[in-house]
Amino acid sequence: MNPVIPAPVPVPLPAPPWLLEFLLVFTFVLHVLAMDFLLGGVIIVSVSSFLGRHDSGRHELTRRVSRALPPVTAFTITLGVAPLLFVQLLYGQLFYTSSDLMAWYWLAVVFLVMLGYYGVYWYQMQHDELGARAAWVMLATAILFMLVAFIFTQNITTMLHPQDFYRLFLSGQVGTILGSVTSLNIARLAHFVVAAVALAGLGIALLSARWRTDSPELARWGRRYGVTWFMGGTVVQFLVGLWFLFSLPVEIRQSLVGDKLAVGLLVLGIFLALLGLLTAPKSLLASSVAILGAVSAMGVLRHLVRLAYLRPYFDPNSLPVRGQWVVFSIFVVLLLAGLATVGWMLYVFYRPAARRA
Amino acid sequence: MNYPVWEPFMLGGGLVIGIIAILHVFVSHFAVGGGLFLTLTERKAYRENNPALLEYVKSHSKFFVLVVLVFGAVSGVGIWWSIALVNPEATATLIHVFVWGWAIEWVFFIVEIAAAFIYYYGWDRLDPKTHLLVGWIYFGAAWASLLVINGILTFMLTPGSWIKTQTFASAYFNPGMLPSLVVRTAVCIALAGVYALITSSAVADAGLRSQVVGYAAKWLLAGTLIIPFAGIWYISTVPAMAREISMGGAPAVTIFAGLSIFFSALVMAFTYFGPHQRPRHFNMVFAFLLAVLALSTTAVTEWVREAVRKPYIIYGYMYSNGMRLADVERTRELGLLKSARWVRHHEVDPQALGRSGEEVYRVQCASCHTVDGYNSIRFAVKGWSWAMIDYQLAHLNSLKGFMPAFVGTEAERQALGAWLASLNPVPTNIATEPASSAVSSQATDAAEEGPSQP
Repeated sequence: MNPVIPAPVPVPLPAPPWLLEFLLVFTFVLHVLAMDFLLGGVIIVSVSSFLGRHDSGRHELTRRVSRALPPVTAFTITLGVAPLLFVQLLYGQLFYTSSDLMAWYWLAVVFLVMLGYYGVYWYQMQHDELGARAAWVMLATAILFMLVAFIFTQNITTMLHPQDFYRLFLSGQVGTILGSVTSLNIARLAHFVVAAVALAGLGIALLSARWRTDSPELARWGRRYGVTWFMGGTVVQFLVGLWFLFSLPVEIRQSLVGDKLAVGLLVLGIFLALLGLLTAPKSLLASSVAILGAVSAMGVLRHLVRLAYLRPYFDPNSLPVRGQWVVFSIFVVLLLAGLATVGWMLYVFYRPAARRA
Repeated sequence: MNYPVWEPFMLGGGLVIGIIAILHVFVSHFAVGGGLFLTLTERKAYRENNPALLEYVKSHSKFFVLVVLVFGAVSGVGIWWSIALVNPEATATLIHVFVWGWAIEWVFFIVEIAAAFIYYYGWDRLDPKTHLLVGWIYFGAAWASLLVINGILTFMLTPGSWIKTQTFASAYFNPGMLPSLVVRTAVCIALAGVYALITSSAVADAGLRSQVVGYAAKWLLAGTLIIPFAGIWYISTVPAMAREISMGGAPAVTIFAGLSIFFSALVMAFTYFGPHQRPRHFNMVFAFLLAVLALSTTAVTEWVREAVRKPYIIYGYMYSNGMRLADVERTRELGLLKSARWVRHHEVDPQALGRSGEEVYRVQCASCHTVDGYNSIRFAVKGWSWAMIDYQLAHLNSLKGFMPAFVGTEAERQALGAWLASLNPVPTNIATEPASSAVSSQATDAAEEGPSQP
């Protein structure tokens, strides 16, 4: 039976697909970096809160890391808006269908994120007042965000299987059809969660460098603690990554093996992750640059996997294009001006001379 | 038609969007106006050398961050989530037309969020001049995000020349854009006053409380004074039928439009005689009552704004059920069930008319109606015979101007009618079959499916 796929919107794309695909992948990588720090940070802070109830070092570390979490939550959400916008533009007919099939779950994401966000604030603002309960608040927050990650994985994976749409549609009431939770989906979810923990570990190590002046002891310990999480997470990630790779359907793996770019990206990603792992104890900067490269390579590879999945059903290059170049140029100019403004605000905020006290 | 239809049982898609959107509007306009309030009040505190007032602004900024950055931001995403689920076809169209507009809005969001955090965490780190400048950057970015989204919102009711030109400029600079921008900016100022009344009523020092309450009331009054004039300007730009619907054409919409004016007047009177004239007697309970009144005003006004767009979701381009006007003729010829992708049967089954009718309902009607909940279809056809229902369906757009015409074959229309008729007991002594029935030979079969057919 031919797959049932909605027709794309008859309005032309406002830019050629390559530009939209570039922006999709680029903003996705930005989102993932923030999301990793948030999800991994919440998991690490939660575990550390339980372990650190009688340990002043861990207690102080969780307090300081939790101060970074509200802005990171805000940026995870905002940076996530952009790739979702481009996914809807390029693959809307697939994305809306899988979303509608699981509508109740998908809508729940909004409420789960909101609750998790308030959890982050609650923990941060009432860290000391909450006492032993603080660990439970963070655990609940971690569970909320994990549920979000799970629903996202289900939806973004289901949209890659248009051949299953009609069967799913017939299987139950629209809105309640979450799709099958396969080994592939679990591997994909685990791949993201483990990456988040590893990256957040690296983030904590980087953050602890800022405590050198007021608590050098904590800064040294925080660095070691973060690097341990990072290295542990990265080692586990090699195994989870293999699991994920071998959970992909044979035809997708074969198509990737035949694609030089995909193989190159995979090798590069693994090499950079290894480099990040080995350099972490000596140089956080070198490790961070390597990991940034690894995440970017994997981000592009992920897009190639999506293209391989969808090749039999849909090619965005078949859509009509009518470039809106004037408004696109305004966007680029405003983006540069906006980033400069944010840069200036961060500069005045962090320069020591600006402190009033 | 193009997508599987999600039916959030009693609520219906419209109400799901409505609940999220109304709460978001109530907070997001505060996000803009509140930024101006914080900055101007901070400046006032410096100018008057009033440390107590400055302390109030600091505490208000914490409240602001918790309400705006969390609820405001996430509920905004929630609107997008819900419209994509309830009306994916329209959402996809909007994204195709406005993606760079949204990208620009996204830039403003990034600046807005960064500025909000730096403003909030910067009270003890930044010098007053720099701190104020960050406040202005926040407000500038927040208002600019309103500037962008406002044009996209008004596009849906007044798409203007876009229907012909299909260019971004004609879509964004649509007839309703400017007056709506003025209305919404005034709402931002008024809501800054509403929220400031909540926080100021909690100030412990009686002298300061009285001062800030009176000051906040002025913001609320200033906003509500502009709204009626800008509102009249806005109404002058909306399509004639949209005006008629709100001015007597559809009683429910007219009542809500009246309530919008009534609630606004109440807010104004309440503010003038309460916090403005007697700031000393104002307290938290009054502040919350005023906030509830303001929320009710927002709710009924946004509801009317959505309702007058009927029967369209993008005026003159796409009906509320996601069907493009350009596709109507083809669908009529081919048949709705044949054109629809997400149905179990692509033909009317004469042996099971009711079941086919239910599929037609789901594809064509369920984006606005529910069976038993909000805008209940069972209630709408109560007491109507199949013949009566069929007549209504055949002349739907002429009899009910705020509904699209039925699109489909005669057999599909009669199947829908049969299913609708089966929802309620049919009164006796009324012709129960359509006069000329394409499926009349199956009428008996259909009747058998209903719970109480004669």
